[in-house]
Amino acid sequence: MTCFRLSAVVLSLAALYPEVSWAQDQADPLFRADRINALVLVLVFSAAILLYTRWARAGKPLFLRRIPGLDAVEEAVGRATEMGRPVLFIPGIQELDDIETIAGVSILGRVAKITAQYETPLMVPVRYPLVLAASQEVVEQAYTEMGRRDSYDKDTVRYVAGEQFAFTATVNGYMMRERPAANIYMGAFFAESLLLAETGNAAGSIQIAGTARPEQLPFFIAACDYTLMGEELYAASAYLSREPVMTGGLKGQDFIKMIIVVLVIIGVVLVTFGMGDWFVHLFEEV
Amino acid sequence: MTFWERMDKIDRRWIYLAVGVAGVLPFLFPTPFPIGVTPEARSLYDAVEALPDGSNVMVVYDYYPSTIAECEPIAIAALHHLFRKNCKVITLSNIPYGGPTMAENVTRMMADQYGKVYGVDFVNLGYKYGYVAVLSGMGQSIESIFPTDHTGTPLAQLPLMDSVKNYSDVAFIFEIADNATADYWVSIVNAQYGVPIGCGGTAVMAPKFYAYVASGQFVGLLGGMRGAAEYEILIDREADGVVGMQAQSLVHLLIIALVILGNLGFFLSRGRMKRGVA
Amino acid sequence: MRTTVPIVTAFIAGFVLVVAFFFRGSTLIGSLRDEFTAWITIIGGFTLALGVASIIRVNWTAVARRKRDWPYKILTLVAVLGMGIPSVLPVSWSSLLGNTPGSIYDWLFEYMQKPMMATMFATLAFYIASAAYRAFRARSPEATLLLVTATLVMLWRVPMGEAFLNLFPGDVPEWLNTYVMGGANMAVQRGIIIGAALGAASMSLRLILGIERMYMGKG
Repeated sequence: MTCFRLSAVVLSLAALYPEVSWAQDQADPLFRADRINALVLVLVFSAAILLYTRWARAGKPLFLRRIPGLDAVEEAVGRATEMGRPVLFIPGIQELDDIETIAGVSILGRVAKITAQYETPLMVPVRYPLVLAASQEVVEQAYTEMGRRDSYDKDTVRYVAGEQFAFTATVNGYMMRERPAANIYMGAFFAESLLLAETGNAAGSIQIAGTARPEQLPFFIAACDYTLMGEELYAASAYLSREPVMTGGLKGQDFIKMIIVVLVIIGVVLVTFGMGDWFVHLFEEV
Repeated sequence: MTFWERMDKIDRRWIYLAVGVAGVLPFLFPTPFPIGVTPEARSLYDAVEALPDGSNVMVVYDYYPSTIAECEPIAIAALHHLFRKNCKVITLSNIPYGGPTMAENVTRMMADQYGKVYGVDFVNLGYKYGYVAVLSGMGQSIESIFPTDHTGTPLAQLPLMDSVKNYSDVAFIFEIADNATADYWVSIVNAQYGVPIGCGGTAVMAPKFYAYVASGQFVGLLGGMRGAAEYEILIDREADGVVGMQAQSLVHLLIIALVILGNLGFFLSRGRMKRGVA
Repeated sequence: MRTTVPIVTAFIAGFVLVVAFFFRGSTLIGSLRDEFTAWITIIGGFTLALGVASIIRVNWTAVARRKRDWPYKILTLVAVLGMGIPSVLPVSWSSLLGNTPGSIYDWLFEYMQKPMMATMFATLAFYIASAAYRAFRARSPEATLLLVTATLVMLWRVPMGEAFLNLFPGDVPEWLNTYVMGGANMAVQRGIIIGAALGAASMSLRLILGIERMYMGKG
């Protein structure tokens, strides 16, 4: 962490050094004071995450509620092993710079460890080359850590197509031909969500989906056996690993959510009684 | 298997066939019904109508070719309204798969109808990778992100862009989206630069955008082909949106009928099982 | 080095972009932010090229080794090269080149790609019908509520259904728009959006600080 602290100090000092040589206009200061509310939220948020992470590292027990969809992952892989059929995992259809894709690839690592352990075939179609590279690295590392490096097949992760529906058509064809026993969709999905889930249902697969896109949740809920909604996708990596450092981050996030709930209640009461203008104004001007 | 047990387990291929027939029939036997206008569509129309004639407006084609059935009628209706008010239109797209081409084709088709001149009345900026960077960068300088237009002409050679340097020169943004880029227009452009945004999107995205309308981050919303139909009625130019609603009506009614049949089959066949009837 | 360099790079980039949000563009950190966002565009351009190279390599290898369905791989290569090469050549050579109206690229896009993409999207109508038929069963009180709400909204969204709802006393469509779409739906969407945003922020912080490393294959 020392290099981080040093980098942070250097960058903070650099931030205060104006690059331009003309005199600063007092009406246009360097620091955006109109964004102080966002700064306070960022600092409180970061402090909560770091504090709970520290507590978790110190061994304090932190409760996580059950997420049935994630508990079902191992069960789904076990089902696939018994049936002698593969597991299909799709880490979303967005590029690696999308946070949902990173969450999906992180979950892929955990799932790959389970498939490595049970020696279940795994198929991971991806839509972008960077996601291909990251997913290959993650799956290979998972197999290596489980001592099954020899079982790892480079073609496990395949670049299928760059276009959304070409990707979907290819994956649907794979589902109907190979009939995977378990389909796991974790990441960002768009219109193809129902196409994939309904085809998987027709193929007789058990399906677990997770996305933070609210508009796609109804389709997954209608067609899949388990669905992770919104932040449950981001919690999945921590939930599956049960590492104290990761669960600490989850608890910090929940703490902030509680603060937001309290603020919402306060705001609703104040605005209802006509005294909320100043309170609403606190959250404007971002 | 009894009739109701069959209703509980209709083969999906019969359902597909029924949907296909329901989608085609209204085009052979049109049955128009009046279309009501939602407050969200009306407030978007009012916001555009309130713009001074000749205002600079960005029309953003953030939809894939797959959703042209829903989004293109919205784009066409929007351009009718804007060109009628002699607004200066700057188009761009954050969609690499055909976004700039759709922007070009649709805008030119509409511009020809109103006798608009490229470079003076409308400009197509094209596409640049990284919509977060694009949206943020245009707040400082559009030219820094798009040094040339879609065809490679430097912006300095386009008279319209002499007066449009960044968001502060744009009076309104008409975002047509079938994906989450609309969220970034809200969080980056509207939240940080205060430019009013009206949104047209697919019917799937519309429920999510209601939250943005309620908070004032979108001035109005057009949801799917229904939204396009509403806007066409408001600008008094009924076209593909209104026509398409007839097919959509029949398919919706079919789905409702199937759901009712399925539930009847579910309960009645379950009742028979409970009574121990073979 | 293989682990440390990416983590330090992620930290610096993340830190700069977060801190720069609170400073004007005229500061050094503001300039760094502008520089980084420009790099995103540049690197992104290279990833597009990487994607083309990858698809050509994968399909060419499949054709060369006569893997399963190799004739379809030839079609893929013809499509990629047939559409890509004419579009990047200068328009000054021929009006068929480039991506302006009338070019090969434009023709293929208008008359092949657009209809194919629209057709794939249109199949959703069939899938939604079968999914709705299967999923909307009144198995429980919650499922019944879902079923009734979905039916009312489906009726409201189409002219025929709206005409049917207008037969009932009161302004049912207005009630649905206000209390279902603008009430319950909006509240739930906001809850999910806020929760997902917090989850994304938490994950981003874990990535910036190097706590989450599974995406690199470590962890």
